[in-house]
Amino acid sequence: MAQAQSFETDFWKDANLRKSWDEIVPGEPRKTLPYLLTQEAIALYCKAVGETNPLYLDEKAAKAGPHGGLVAPPSIHILLMFSCTPADDWMRSPGTINAGQSWSYNIHARPGDTIRLEARALDKFIKRQRLFVVHDNVFFNQHGQVICSGRGQTIRPL
Amino acid sequence: MTKTTTTDFDTLRDGDTIDGPTFAVSRESIRLFCDASLDYNPLHLDDDYMKGDFGRTNFGGIIMHGMNNFGLISRMITDWLPPEGVHRRLETRWVKPVRPGDVIQPTASIKARQTTHKSRWVLLDVQVRNQKGEQVAVGEAMVEFPSPTGAAA
Repeated sequence: MAQAQSFETDFWKDANLRKSWDEIVPGEPRKTLPYLLTQEAIALYCKAVGETNPLYLDEKAAKAGPHGGLVAPPSIHILLMFSCTPADDWMRSPGTINAGQSWSYNIHARPGDTIRLEARALDKFIKRQRLFVVHDNVFFNQHGQVICSGRGQTIRPL
Repeated sequence: MTKTTTTDFDTLRDGDTIDGPTFAVSRESIRLFCDASLDYNPLHLDDDYMKGDFGRTNFGGIIMHGMNNFGLISRMITDWLPPEGVHRRLETRWVKPVRPGDVIQPTASIKARQTTHKSRWVLLDVQVRNQKGEQVAVGEAMVEFPSPTGAAA
């Protein structure tokens, strides 16, 4: 798993560089990184959720399918969220609890795509003594086409 | 309620249900999801860390990624759709943590069907339950059945 090896898996490292709930400014763009989506990363994601659809995994079958080639499953944004953000992004703060998300899908990501993310905190609030941040995100391919857009709520560590 | 195996828009009915795949959650499946998603939050890896309190909540041990539910629901939808169908939206919230040893399964039921001037849409109530029948995730999905003529019939 070369991808995982090149990625900092210790989320405690650089934890002090990440913004706390108090420091997050709704509306302020998050720093993001372009990410080359590989077939290996798609296959690993498929394995983790039990996807066996040949449109994601079998080049020959995918070529004859509706997309004319391999594509990633719609929910690949789960991987893209961490791939397209740097180590000091507050989404990686240990103890961040995902409270729910909504995503809209436009076109499939494909292996070989260079993915770009535009993201920001949209809102923050306190509810039942918990610190919430709303984040919104749009992933684009190298042609500037929207792949998907989504919004989520996280409960921030105290 | 009818368990739907057909995905012809014209034969779908409100209340039709869809069963998704069962998924056995283990420490290994959670670790694999860490590698696949690059989400290495200690919530999913570190039992000692999870002995602590999170505000008024104590999980007592590592928990599965909420987005693993999301991926399973999405898989159920795309497996059910015909080749021309398009998974357009999924909204979920987590209502109960999922732990190693749990077996979870997403299901869906058709809530509404709508025709617009260019296409045809189905709204689905979705949920994930554990082996005790408890809801662990709930939400709503929207799928598109493009009109064969590109316009509403």
